Amino acid sequence: MKKLHFLEVEGNSRGFYTLLGVFGLISLIGMFAAYYMEHHGHYVTGMSNQVVWGTPHVFAIFLIVAASGALNVASISSVFAKTAYKPLARLSGMLAIALLAGGLVVLLLDLGRPDRLIVAMTKFNFLSIFTWNIFLYTGFMGIVAVYLWTMMDRPYNKLTKKAGMGAFIWRLVLTTGTGSIFGFLIAREAYDTALLAPMFVIMSFAFGLAFFMLVLMASYKYTDRPLGDYIINRLKNLLGVFVAAVLYFVIVYHITNLYSADHQGVSAFILADGGIYTFLFWVVQIGLGSLLPLLLLYGPTGKNRTMIGLASALIIIGGLAQLYIIIIGGQAYPMVMFPGMEVSSSFYDGVVASYSPSLPEVLLGVGGVGVTLLLVTVSVAALKFLPASLADEVADPHAK
Amino acid sequence: MWLQLNINFSFSSLLKESMHKLPLSVVGLALMASFTTVNAEVEQHDLGPRIEIPESSGNSCVLPEDEMRRRHPDLLKHDRILTLREGIREKTDGHNLDGSLKQCINCHAIKDDNNNYVRIDNDRHFCVSCHKYAAVTIDCFQCHRDIPEGSSNFHALSGHKNTDFTSITPGSYGLTVQDMANIAPEVSSDDK
Amino acid sequence: MTSKIEKEDLSRRNFIFGSIAAAGLTVAPGVMLYQTANARDLSKAASSKVRWGMLIDTSRDVDWNKCVEACVKEHGLGNEEHSRPDQRTQYIRVVEVKNKSTGYSMSLPVMCQHCEQPPCVDVCPTGASMKREDGIVLVDRHRCIGCRYCMMACPYKARSFVHETLTDQSTTTPRGKGCVESCNMCVNRVDNGQLPACVEASEGAIVFGNLNDPESDISKLLAKHGGKQIRADLKLNPGVQYQGI
Repeated sequence: MKKLHFLEVEGNSRGFYTLLGVFGLISLIGMFAAYYMEHHGHYVTGMSNQVVWGTPHVFAIFLIVAASGALNVASISSVFAKTAYKPLARLSGMLAIALLAGGLVVLLLDLGRPDRLIVAMTKFNFLSIFTWNIFLYTGFMGIVAVYLWTMMDRPYNKLTKKAGMGAFIWRLVLTTGTGSIFGFLIAREAYDTALLAPMFVIMSFAFGLAFFMLVLMASYKYTDRPLGDYIINRLKNLLGVFVAAVLYFVIVYHITNLYSADHQGVSAFILADGGIYTFLFWVVQIGLGSLLPLLLLYGPTGKNRTMIGLASALIIIGGLAQLYIIIIGGQAYPMVMFPGMEVSSSFYDGVVASYSPSLPEVLLGVGGVGVTLLLVTVSVAALKFLPASLADEVADPHAK
Repeated sequence: MWLQLNINFSFSSLLKESMHKLPLSVVGLALMASFTTVNAEVEQHDLGPRIEIPESSGNSCVLPEDEMRRRHPDLLKHDRILTLREGIREKTDGHNLDGSLKQCINCHAIKDDNNNYVRIDNDRHFCVSCHKYAAVTIDCFQCHRDIPEGSSNFHALSGHKNTDFTSITPGSYGLTVQDMANIAPEVSSDDK
Repeated sequence: MTSKIEKEDLSRRNFIFGSIAAAGLTVAPGVMLYQTANARDLSKAASSKVRWGMLIDTSRDVDWNKCVEACVKEHGLGNEEHSRPDQRTQYIRVVEVKNKSTGYSMSLPVMCQHCEQPPCVDVCPTGASMKREDGIVLVDRHRCIGCRYCMMACPYKARSFVHETLTDQSTTTPRGKGCVESCNMCVNRVDNGQLPACVEASEGAIVFGNLNDPESDISKLLAKHGGKQIRADLKLNPGVQYQGI
């Protein structure tokens, strides 16, 4: 195995500035959309008193969940001592921070009163899972930053394993916390289950790694750095396992729901008669987002880079669909106040709430992705995150 | 006039304190600054907008005027917690709490030429007249009523199409450097 | 301590309410003027010795929409100009409940149930969603950041989010864009010894009073006839209870 050599991406190039411009523009449009929403109020969005969390939350929670998942590669290298992943650990940590930042920006800008961030940062109700998450998110940023520092500052390399362990435990707690935002909501049929916490953890594995692979392959292609099959094969096999694991949790979730009369309704709604949610579930989440990627990753196309990239992109789309179903579908399904009864009111009791995403919401969500990619672009140019080469003779510990 | 005196006062006291602490160059800067202020003082009548504090209708405020200028945010914040979170609405003597925004508005509401109360989007509104000048955004009136209850243009079931509270943002006031010169000494002398 | 409102028509006993001693004067059928005799000492904090509650008799032939109208009027609701119907604030609504198999149907007013263990208070990250000592659940709009987590958590869909800039609010109910709001049990009226607006408009079908005082009318009624809570299975112990559901 040749010596590993990290190098910044050339920042003073047309390609770099193009990327900076594109991602900057996407971020800017997102910020503008947020300003538009805040200026007018949320009446310009598809959200209502029935569907109180909308598309921005789908993107925000996707990014936050993916953030902790992106750290996986580093964790495997530091905590589980797999040297093959060591060259990727820095990118993994940096991407985790960037994804979290993107997600938090969206979450924050969708608040009714984002100008009161200072209130959220000074007044805490420690019974609230949101409060726990405020600490989990800021703590995650801090601990991963320390972890990155131990990796990148040679004299402190000996602390990497400890910092990596800390970050690994923290990210598990973080995703558990994110899942619990929903899992603890006893009032709504779709959420009232502890299963959501581990399901979010495994979802983070899949979404985070898919995002990581896309960033990895794109940046190596864009900078003409060699990226060998060895590392890609390991990652894509892992990705397939995670996708299958998410599928497993989805099946358990719905079977559990269907078995109890108490929760049958919401699963029947998503699986059979939920209209757009049923379509999103079977076609996008299961078909395009799970089965097709598995086929692409493990089938005869398994060695094809384009197909691996496509599979990663599909997993991300499937993940967004899955969160759309969980977050918006879960709210659209009517809350049961009088079990067994038919209810109606001027406040839309007993009917499936309608929701259609508005343009500003989507732009804000995409803006969050833009912020993430902007941060990644700046970071890889500013610091030594990427190995100059990940060709097989460098990356494969068994190569001669 | 007190505003100009205040400028001189704070600068000269700063000068005294700094004389034996700071390096000569800093003292020199301070001296220069004080000269500039003296010049500014001479041309005060050219220094852009001045605050005109509107008259109030009540007999006397809960505190003397100069104290109200400094402490009204604290009073409002303190008493809103008492009232909303604890349910304390009166002083032991049965009077309104000092920081009752409702009472502020009742006394300080301003009427326009047509004898209608002016709203928060109007520069003549009591709170706006100062806050716009000082470029301090308040969000009280996003929720609180900006004119007395039951006043002539109260009609709960229809809104005011042209009222846009969100336009009251910092930066939209067009503050000049002179404005800041007028405001800054007063602000710094208030802080503990 | 209990006292009774003086009025001619003693058969309308549901008008009598708990520990607030008030004198009522009938000026027209269904319209009552209340004069506070000795409301709570407003210079002291609300006390947990009191727990305000309501008992709603759904078997009474009452037009519950009158309660909704009274609520809208009291709190100055309905002043949205841009919001869609599903975005507009409703503190109290009339829910029609029908049993599909038997065909039995009824309607009842649903508002914030003022739970003893309110999920909205638990989940609020800033403590804006709060329960006052006397059991009234409120939103402190000075702290609300508009995250809407309380709306996700409430099993009664009792909360609304203000989707646009509001003007012409009622002095006693400040409310504005970007904050969540809900029924506050007319806390300003209650503090002044008056009945909540919906109770006043209910023609006696809603009894308001102190659940902690066994001598209050609401407690006596509950002791005699019992009361039901919506989603009692969640064990939130709402302060709003029902008869006939």
